[in-house]
Amino acid sequence: MSINSIYGLFVSGLSSSNPLTFLVSVVAYAIIIMVIMSVFAYLFGWVERKLIAKAQYRHGPTYVGKFGILQNLADLIKLIAKEKMVPSNANRILFALAPQILVAMATLLILLLPFSPTLQATNLGVGLLAIFVILGFTPILLFIAAFSSGNKFADISGQRSVLLLISYELPMMLVIASVALIANGYNLQHIIAGQSKFAYAFIMPIGLFIFFVTMLAELERTPFDLREADSELIAGWLTDMSAPYYALSLLLDYTRMFLGGLLIAILFFGGWSGPLLPPAAWLVIKAFLIALFIIIIRVTLVRMRIDRVLRFGWAWLIPLALINLVLTYVLFG
Amino acid sequence: MSVTRINVGPVHPSTHGVFRMVVDVDGDTVLGVEPHIGFLHRGVEKLVENRMYLQCPPYMEKLDYIAPMAMGDSYISVVEKALGVEVKPKAQYVRLILLELQRIASHLLWLGTLCNDIGQMFTGFMWGFRDRDIILRLLEDATGQRMFYVNMRLGGLVRDLPADFEEHALKTLDYLEGRLADYTDLLEKNPIFMERMKGIGILKAEDAKDLGVTGPVLRASGVSYDVRKNNPYYAYAALNFRPAIQGSGDNFARYKVRMLEMAESIRLVREAFKRMPDGDATGMQIRLITPKAQNRISTVSRECPRGEQFLYLVADPQKAYRFSIRSPTFINLAALSHISKGQRFADIIAILGTLDLVMGDVDK
Repeated sequence: MSINSIYGLFVSGLSSSNPLTFLVSVVAYAIIIMVIMSVFAYLFGWVERKLIAKAQYRHGPTYVGKFGILQNLADLIKLIAKEKMVPSNANRILFALAPQILVAMATLLILLLPFSPTLQATNLGVGLLAIFVILGFTPILLFIAAFSSGNKFADISGQRSVLLLISYELPMMLVIASVALIANGYNLQHIIAGQSKFAYAFIMPIGLFIFFVTMLAELERTPFDLREADSELIAGWLTDMSAPYYALSLLLDYTRMFLGGLLIAILFFGGWSGPLLPPAAWLVIKAFLIALFIIIIRVTLVRMRIDRVLRFGWAWLIPLALINLVLTYVLFG
Repeated sequence: MSVTRINVGPVHPSTHGVFRMVVDVDGDTVLGVEPHIGFLHRGVEKLVENRMYLQCPPYMEKLDYIAPMAMGDSYISVVEKALGVEVKPKAQYVRLILLELQRIASHLLWLGTLCNDIGQMFTGFMWGFRDRDIILRLLEDATGQRMFYVNMRLGGLVRDLPADFEEHALKTLDYLEGRLADYTDLLEKNPIFMERMKGIGILKAEDAKDLGVTGPVLRASGVSYDVRKNNPYYAYAALNFRPAIQGSGDNFARYKVRMLEMAESIRLVREAFKRMPDGDATGMQIRLITPKAQNRISTVSRECPRGEQFLYLVADPQKAYRFSIRSPTFINLAALSHISKGQRFADIIAILGTLDLVMGDVDK
């Protein structure tokens, strides 16, 4: 069987009405996505280390493998080989489960994203809404993870997680609503098809700005990395995580960063559409570039304070998002 | 909300050494900070009392290990005063140059750690350390050591500056001037940085005087007091020195004072090179036995990078009978709990950063 025919079988399985065929294809797809995700997270971890090192006049990893490309693998092996410790006053089950659920949810989100006109686990009519709902769960899970560890620094981190949630979730939802308004629905394929002439980035730059900023907050990236604020909270909700869980959290970090890139690429930069290269490649390239931009922000900016984030969210982002919504409605509605 | 008591340190990314503080927070608002010190206490005062004068500089330099030159200088100055030794004219200029270079190095390290404290991903930190290292290389040229120089001798230095030192130093200063502009661009053009610094952790001039803080922390509160100006030593009186003063007393003022001080130090070193007299800068080349002490009690006050260091020495013929150090950071630390009340938890770390503590100096 050639690759093309396997791909065809796979895609037809994903759109099959036979529940068993569908289930088998989705599980296979999920496994493939997870493998690709891990490879991406791995590569991205290396790119980030190299890029940050460049900005700081360092070399970054050099010794393990060519250009230190195997350094992250070495770190991973080290972390996994270490002892699994759970603090005595932690809730053992939640403490162990939370990072795993978080990784699973990030993967679930990626399953819902279209990598090509046909390559998608399921083309939900309300795909964008579903993604938003699952994204909204993440801070709550982080909150649970933080409280389950029974550490005071993690407690503060959990409180901040909830505060962050109420400051960025609303503007993000308003932007999503205005995207849906232009695209006439929440279907992700429609949203991409709607950008065949102009990417939404050019139609509503304000929306892109707000979505990007809220995405930074969602991904806990500088200047909103308040949950893991290393200077005051040591590592926030990760303070008491021993090595294997920490390895998972690192995987989660990069997976979510890629996810953020993918979402922005789909909603504002035409998703998989692009000339010459296959659609999935276009989407990954776009996501990669957006994630690179997030790293550049990371090495430049300092951390915001939590009350300022709240004020920024309510006093600037929400009014801006409302203006964006109204403008979108008046111009394109 | 209930009061949560959080123990920060002694092992914590932002306590700059082994420092522990107990912070009471209500949500995110700080109700009180209680510093706990003494983890790095080495009994330097007692050590000095049990050794001959010239055995002590290495101990003294380990007090403020970020600015060892200043520590060694103030110790040798108080011994010179006790023994009645005059510093050679050229040595006065050479010491001034080395001290000011040390001040820049010290402030660069402070700037780097401050960037980390307010949550930058090690960029400012690496930049600061990298530029500091260039100065350390200069000082290595001059003294033979990167960090703990022990190059002060009674009446001068262990050796004169090398022939090409001036050229290297001036080149380095030109480079540093450009870098200072880079730092200003990186930080002051960043609204988030300004938001974290302006209006945070205000120390009023009155409170600053009452608490006895000195150095950049005091000048940031608008008090014009700099030992180099008010009680000049070495060649400071001859040079056209202007202390950096800000009025607002907040984090930003403390940051700005140090930035201005670095620029001022660059200017001072350049001027000192121009006015440096010819002659010899080497001090007394003696190993152990010093001239007999002339004054029973001598005191000396020096503007170290972190504030005013005041040394008190009761002299026996060959060693100190009683020796006491007023370390600037120990007194400046007292301002921490005063400033911190009512601030946000995240700002405590920034305030700690702008106070610029070195635990070796605090604990003595």
